[in-house]
Amino acid sequence: MIAGAHVTEPVGRRFRVAVATVTAVFTALILPVGQAAIADTLDEEIDRLKADVADLGQTLYELEEDVLHPADTQVAVFLTLRDREGLELDTVELYLNDAPVASHLYTERELASLKKGGVQRLYIGNLPHGTHQLKAILTARSANERFVRREVTHDFRKRPGQSRLQMTLDARAPDYEPVVSFQEWK
Amino acid sequence: MMAFGHRLGNNSGMFVLALMLVFMPVLAGATVDTRQALRTGLARFALDSGNPAEALRHTRALSTEEALLVRARALMATGNNKDARDLLEQLAGGQYYRGDASLLLADLVVADGEDGGEESRRHLEVATELAHGETRQQALYRMAELHREAGHTDRAGRVLASIEPGYWAALGYMNMAADFGRRDLNPSRALVALRVALAMSEKDTDSRRGQELRSRLLVRAGHLAHKHEDYDKAISFLEKVPLESYSTPQGLYLHGLALSAKGNHRAAMQSWHRARKYPLAYPGVANAWLGTGRGYDLSGYLGQAGEAYLAASASFETERVTLRKLADQIRNKGAYRALVMDARDSSAEWFLADSRTLTQPRTAYLLRFMEQRRAQEAVNRVADLEQLGQQMAQHEDSLSVFRNAILERMGPVDERMVGRERYEEEIEALTERISALRSRVTSPAQQQSLRGAASTLSDLKTSLRKLDQRLASKNQRLTELLARTDRALERVRGARDRAARLQAEAEAALDEIALAFVKAQDDRMTFALDRTEQRIAHLYEYLALQNIERGDP
Repeated sequence: MIAGAHVTEPVGRRFRVAVATVTAVFTALILPVGQAAIADTLDEEIDRLKADVADLGQTLYELEEDVLHPADTQVAVFLTLRDREGLELDTVELYLNDAPVASHLYTERELASLKKGGVQRLYIGNLPHGTHQLKAILTARSANERFVRREVTHDFRKRPGQSRLQMTLDARAPDYEPVVSFQEWK
Repeated sequence: MMAFGHRLGNNSGMFVLALMLVFMPVLAGATVDTRQALRTGLARFALDSGNPAEALRHTRALSTEEALLVRARALMATGNNKDARDLLEQLAGGQYYRGDASLLLADLVVADGEDGGEESRRHLEVATELAHGETRQQALYRMAELHREAGHTDRAGRVLASIEPGYWAALGYMNMAADFGRRDLNPSRALVALRVALAMSEKDTDSRRGQELRSRLLVRAGHLAHKHEDYDKAISFLEKVPLESYSTPQGLYLHGLALSAKGNHRAAMQSWHRARKYPLAYPGVANAWLGTGRGYDLSGYLGQAGEAYLAASASFETERVTLRKLADQIRNKGAYRALVMDARDSSAEWFLADSRTLTQPRTAYLLRFMEQRRAQEAVNRVADLEQLGQQMAQHEDSLSVFRNAILERMGPVDERMVGRERYEEEIEALTERISALRSRVTSPAQQQSLRGAASTLSDLKTSLRKLDQRLASKNQRLTELLARTDRALERVRGARDRAARLQAEAEAALDEIALAFVKAQDDRMTFALDRTEQRIAHLYEYLALQNIERGDP
């Protein structure tokens, strides 16, 4: 046993050194791949989290609608662009019965989205039944390089149930004069 | 419809009813279409404004192809590639968006890393045939890249020839030029490709992006011409590099180099002097510092050359201290805070932001760092997770407020508020007053006003009738809302914890990449410092030899 131990000890040490060397070389070789694999796993976990959060977003939206905006008194105002080249929208301010309720400064991405047919929900809130006035102030740059500021008002009656008001902005050649039209849906 | 019925009179009641029955499905269809269009528009705006979760919510029950495409994009943005692929495959066999869906499918194949080249090529072929506008240009560019990467430059060239002038065509020709530059001994093919790319970039609809690409193309062309000793051509390219771009310092350095090669050291030093105004992080700036000394040396001003080399040496030393501090900050605060967030923070006024961006050392290092794909991915990961964490924190706050509001509303109803009979009497009295006024009004405006008031009173009466029923179910409804709020709160906290854990992992990975980057920058400065010291040593040696030759002590 003792003789055997004398023989095996250096062999064992050599083996351990060899294993350590091979491991080190192997680790050095696979390290970039290993890092990529870690990044991939992390990306997968982040994707799963994002998907769960998106699902949670739906639940929270429904809850928020039920708690904050009872359907009977709900009013929502939407903005769309009809003529997509005539106007570069800068800002929109919204007033309900002379009280400011929403304002928005447009980024290039948002503007591009509106031009591609995007619809923006400018406001959602609650109003009692009866007559109300919506006022919108728009600032924009028209296609003929004029800066314009327009103020428009729209009287509407809040009826029971959800009320949706669509505000459509148009500016047609040759004068690119901004025109705002309103459409009410139930 | 009712007004129409009134105008026809009672005898025509059956006719009106028949008309209503005929047109009702059409009207209902129109309403459904309008709602779908509204929801699709809302989803598109939400997706384009960086809120894919909201886009998913709006498109949940929609079936139009347009809505499905928006939904597929939102699914991809929220990491749900599997469901996105199902929708896109459905759209690829559909009617209107086959091209767009095919391009997105090609993206998915590459993102999932399962591409042998064939599947994405198949999708891209469909996209190039069926897509329109920007989508088609992008698909053609990607197809050209597939050919180029496979070594078929001629095929790539044929595809590029069919792209309309603009950003994608310019990118394609730029990559072709890089290939030619590597392969050819003669630079003419590469230069022609770069000239075409320059012409294409002028048609880019995004002017800022086009200008940035144009700067890069000009610097590349200048570098290539200089490398092949065509200095006049190099100068003509480099003179056109705009002063406010990421490539400007490198362009100025190369411009100086070309002028110097032509023997115009004075003009060369002017260019290098301008390049030295930029932070040392940018490519070309360290060389411009060295070039200034070399310029004085070649012009015969040895004293100024020595001073310029000493100034360069001091500048490199200072930069090494800055880099050491940056590395310490990365270790203490993490790379995301130290490099990304701090580069954003500035006491400068917002309207000066554009002009100062390029001259801030921290921003310069951030831009240089973000050139690496790995760095972009690592920063994106942390940014996404931080945004998710903030979103969850906001949701948690909102839900806590909802919870308190629901608890407050759960108490007993104040009898004084309920007094239904009193309100009914008031409504009756008002209705009578309207009836009395009706006989006295004459103008259409007055009549309309009265009709409106009567309609509102009628709505109020209906609401009042429902009040008892609503009050009876109030507590049950609120209890249910409270339970839903608690469940949601639990899910939000869980998601927030997950986001925090993943953010810590993502930040650690980013720190590692950032520290390696700072180390590489430090090595670059050390190398520049060594070269400066060598220059100084040569200069002193030369001066000493001259002194010996002159017999000076």
